[in-house]
Amino acid sequence: MIGIAVPLAAKLLFLAPVAAILFAFFVVRPLKPEWTHWPILLSCAIVTASSFYLAARVLGLFGIAGGSFDKDVLHWAAAGKWAVDFGLRVDGPGAAVLAMVSLVGSLIHVYAAAYMKGDPGFSRFFLVFHLFFLAMIGLLTANNYVQLYLFWELVGLASYLLVGYWFHKESARRAALQAFMTNRVGDFGFMLALFFILSTFNVAHFNVIYVKLALTQQQGGIPVLLPAIGALLIWAACAKSAQFPLYFWLPDAMEGPTPTSALMHAATMVTAGVFLLVRSWPLISAVPYLPPVVAGIGAFTAIFSAIIASTKKDLKRILAYSTVSHLGIMMMALGLNQVALAIFHLVVHGFFKAVLFLCAGNVGHAIHKPTANVDEVGGWRKAMPWTYACFLIAALSLAGVYPFGGFFSKDAILDAAWENGGLIRWFSLLISFGSAFYIFRMLFLTFHGSRPEQQGLKAHPHEAGAAFVAPVFVIALGAAGIGFAAPYVQELVLAGWRGLPTSVAAVSGVLNLAGSPLIPKLDWHGQFGLSGLMAALGFGLSYYLTMVDASWDWRWRRNHPRLEAVFESDFGWKPFVALLAGAVGAFARFCGRVLDKRWWDGAVEGSAGAAHGASEALAGYSAGRLNDYLWWMAAGAALLLGGALR
Amino acid sequence: MTLWAVILAGAVAAAFAGVMLFSRSLYVSAVCLLVVLLQTGLIFLLRGAALLGFLQVMVYAGAVMVLVVVTIMATGGEPEAGFARFADFSFPRWLAFAGLAAAACEVALTLYLGGASSAPVSPADPAMAAGFSTALFSSYALATEAVTLLLFLAALAVLPDKEAA
Amino acid sequence: MTSAVWAVTGVLFAAGLAMVVLRRQLLAMLLGVELMLAAVNVALVHHAGLFSDAQAMAAVAIVIAIAAAEAVVGLSLILRVLRAGRGVDAGGLSELRG
Repeated sequence: MIGIAVPLAAKLLFLAPVAAILFAFFVVRPLKPEWTHWPILLSCAIVTASSFYLAARVLGLFGIAGGSFDKDVLHWAAAGKWAVDFGLRVDGPGAAVLAMVSLVGSLIHVYAAAYMKGDPGFSRFFLVFHLFFLAMIGLLTANNYVQLYLFWELVGLASYLLVGYWFHKESARRAALQAFMTNRVGDFGFMLALFFILSTFNVAHFNVIYVKLALTQQQGGIPVLLPAIGALLIWAACAKSAQFPLYFWLPDAMEGPTPTSALMHAATMVTAGVFLLVRSWPLISAVPYLPPVVAGIGAFTAIFSAIIASTKKDLKRILAYSTVSHLGIMMMALGLNQVALAIFHLVVHGFFKAVLFLCAGNVGHAIHKPTANVDEVGGWRKAMPWTYACFLIAALSLAGVYPFGGFFSKDAILDAAWENGGLIRWFSLLISFGSAFYIFRMLFLTFHGSRPEQQGLKAHPHEAGAAFVAPVFVIALGAAGIGFAAPYVQELVLAGWRGLPTSVAAVSGVLNLAGSPLIPKLDWHGQFGLSGLMAALGFGLSYYLTMVDASWDWRWRRNHPRLEAVFESDFGWKPFVALLAGAVGAFARFCGRVLDKRWWDGAVEGSAGAAHGASEALAGYSAGRLNDYLWWMAAGAALLLGGALR
Repeated sequence: MTLWAVILAGAVAAAFAGVMLFSRSLYVSAVCLLVVLLQTGLIFLLRGAALLGFLQVMVYAGAVMVLVVVTIMATGGEPEAGFARFADFSFPRWLAFAGLAAAACEVALTLYLGGASSAPVSPADPAMAAGFSTALFSSYALATEAVTLLLFLAALAVLPDKEAA
Repeated sequence: MTSAVWAVTGVLFAAGLAMVVLRRQLLAMLLGVELMLAAVNVALVHHAGLFSDAQAMAAVAIVIAIAAAEAVVGLSLILRVLRAGRGVDAGGLSELRG
């Protein structure tokens, strides 16, 4: 697989967005800023076509030969005995995620073109939006860790720019800064991991690292730094994919325009962390105690955020916590060594989460606000039938109802958790229950019934138009049908690992993917039935608490304000983080104002002052006065004379 | 006795050198230098170098010091601020008295020595005089010529230039 | 005799040097230089007499002549400096100027 030419499609993945961004920036933006989206949409189309071509190529479908490949395109930087190459790696996991990202991302672009129309920053939005997209594509096709890190940071930067898009809003600026800072905390872990990787393997290429690691393992051992590398990579993924210690930036990142949230949650941003772990999975799984840690983090985050999602009133916030929860599910799958399932759920989640966000955007658009609150909506099923239909499909998919996508991915993960046994088994049931509860609660509160607490139909909602609905509907179709692509995704993932050099593959089991990379067959009697039962319970409870006992949601808030405060603060985690951030800030201020400014600068400036004083003092002796010269001359003559006489 | 005469002359010279050093007035300094030079000329005389002594008195007291004093007066005549102290040509009376007293003392001593001894001053050694002239005009003839030329050029240097005038 | 002469020479030379180094007026510095030259002459003359060395006498004569020339040149330079508006102090000559 090494040594073959890079197909045109892979080159187009980069050339099209770069060319589109440059053209849009230098030509379209100055001339006709409201046309900025045209070259970018064209680029989206090219990228999507290329991605599907590459996926087909990896699978060998339609007679497209070539399979996966990993090739250095150019030497980027060389230093001493190792160099950083800029390469392209299109293998199974990459191609699977790439296809989803490009399709969903492109449709979100289409939606954004309608949603952002007339916004004063339309042109800027589209450029950064596409940069975000490009960064994610680069991340998915990177063939070494340095390149991955580069695009990882680019994703963080673009997300910062997009979350803070309405920079005139204080809250948007704060959220952007918070997202960026939290990501920086994780990126620091990635950076350290990168250094450790370079010092351990002397190379950053995935394929070489896998081989080296496999050979080391064959000799019965792992590199000393490998546990640290794995832990740091997990830390980085926790920041990017919003897992427990570092999840809090994601719900606040709702301050950006809705297409941003959709892209961020579905396709480009948060999946990067999971993808990093997939790429690094041979490394992490080589350390026996790391996968359980990943699974634990994922399971805990999944339940934790599912509970919080059930208590939120802001629609986008509910979805944000739901994303955190589903990312937790993906991490849990990874931790259970179900790489294929994690990727499959990533893909499926991308579809239905994009739909949910875009529907929330439509709902917000109907009342001319960037986001809607459950108080402001209610019973909009008739007024917005298309949006309702899309939302319903996505919600069913999320809750894992057959035959929608989520059933195949999420329930398979929960099944794997059930198989695994232990605490995770019960966690998986809770997750199943919680997911169904919060999403149907949202569905009912938004589209069904009429409650006295809600503004509801007084706002006269209406469907926003074809441009708003069509892309959502296409993605919703994907969300409905993606489950049947499970064999392809499984094949893709397997093909990806199969693409490894045979010498490595021969070392059976070293890559730890043998565990069970297969997506389990449907089994109505096992966990599938049980988790379906839990989902049905969640559905029933949400139906009861929103339709039958319609005012429950407002009642408990009224009666237990302290309980609401607990949920509002994420069980006290947010204040703790704020405290921590405050302490770090205070330390930084101390470093800046006292250590740096007073002590260090004082020393530095003092040295300058001392030098100044010394030179002032010395300058007095060479100020050009004749007397001084004569004095020195006399002294010198006396010295010479003394030397001569002695 | 010559020793005492030399010591007296040296003491007077040293005293006036001190006054010259510490006096704020340039005029006083210049006059003091004149006195010192005269005293050294006297020492030359006492040490049997009569010609050099006369040369010293002639060149310095007669020519250079007059030039110096005239220059000081010229610069002091400038009405600019800051030069006011140059315009102060008063000479301290005690200093003048001391100078006069020293001169009188020395004259008296010389006369006394002249009365007491037939050779108060070391007589000019004819051989020395011959050697002096030989050295000056044959051995060091070139140096003498050079110095002469230098004196000539120096005379040119004091000529007022037309631009300044 | 010799020690007395050396004492006189030393005192006069030191006074001349101090004058050159300490005083700021250019004229005073010139006077100091003259004094130093005269002081050295005293010792030279004395030792010329001691050793009956006519060449030293000649040297003294030349020194006197050079001192005179130097005084004249120095005075004219001082006058030039004064005319150039840079005062009569050494402080006025602390900068190079085209």
